[in-house]
Amino acid sequence: MANNSTADFQPQITLLYCRQSLAAEVKPVQGNRAGNGFSVRLVLLPCSSKVQLPHLMRLLEQGSDGLQIAACPEKACQHLVGSNRAEKRIARGRELLEQVGMGAERLGLDRGAGLSLDDLMEMAGQRAEALRALGPNPMKGV
Amino acid sequence: MITAEWKPIEEMVGYLRGHKKVLVIGCATCVAECAAGGEREVETLAPLLAMAMQNDGNPIEVKSATLERQCEPEFLEAIAEAAAEADAIVSVACGIGMQLVAERYADTPLYPGVNTTSLSIREEPGLWTSRCAACGDCVLGFTFGLCPVARCAKSLQNGPCGGTRTNGMCEINQDTPCIWRLIVERATARGRLEDLTKVRPPKDWSNSPAGGPKRMLREDLRS
Repeated sequence: MANNSTADFQPQITLLYCRQSLAAEVKPVQGNRAGNGFSVRLVLLPCSSKVQLPHLMRLLEQGSDGLQIAACPEKACQHLVGSNRAEKRIARGRELLEQVGMGAERLGLDRGAGLSLDDLMEMAGQRAEALRALGPNPMKGV
Repeated sequence: MITAEWKPIEEMVGYLRGHKKVLVIGCATCVAECAAGGEREVETLAPLLAMAMQNDGNPIEVKSATLERQCEPEFLEAIAEAAAEADAIVSVACGIGMQLVAERYADTPLYPGVNTTSLSIREEPGLWTSRCAACGDCVLGFTFGLCPVARCAKSLQNGPCGGTRTNGMCEINQDTPCIWRLIVERATARGRLEDLTKVRPPKDWSNSPAGGPKRMLREDLRS
């Protein structure tokens, strides 16, 4: 349910993660999870380079408070340059979000290898904390 | 290709204040190649404008479409219904496409989402450089296929000017090669350096954009 008051703001994070960044024994999961003071929707990607600005901007337009991308370490991308491409797109997206008054912190990318589900939740939590000062997405409920 | 660059979003916000239903339209041809106005850019800009206007206190409903070409009348009919519902159109096509849309949908205000900047090539991913200035009197036959009009900061017809840096770059912009250096190098490589000393007829600038609006007529093609 949308929460538009800043005081009890529980950020809704969409976390898009690279399949390859997970530890081998971790089964990929998708869907909604509750975190401590935030909620997260997990979205599985074959590679972080699959993220495109139109998709990210639509997610924010539709009310997600923040977007977190989980990518592989720079030298470990299965597609060699996929995570670097994703990183550049995220940098561009952050600039654009700043320009439209949404705040760059609504979008971020972090790298990691051998990640667990807890690691993904921690990344989402860090994104939630980074954007908490911005308050709820003004597009929520529009 | 014709290249263009997004206008500052702040400028677009200024255009759209007072409007409620906005149609953002792109063109899948030149401006798609230069990553300014193709489907990907339209679908990025449309939600950004919605967010910008929401934060500006002037919420709008934004729809989007990307036409195969905005500079051909036939393709404009695809947005007839959406244009009729919109009270403003933002086009991220070149100035040619924008004007055709403004003409076809004359009752709806049209605003530019891009500045049309040059006739360029994609030199490498993410880098576009000028190759043609549409000067109306092509000199490539004299200059070994390298254009001094578009690629020399001074559009010199005889060069180099003396301002070439020691590394062969232009004195005006250190990222731009001196085109006359390249012309001389190519002439030398072909053993035809002497050709550059020949007296050429004066360039006809009357057919350039400075000569006023162009009107090209081909009677054999008219119905």
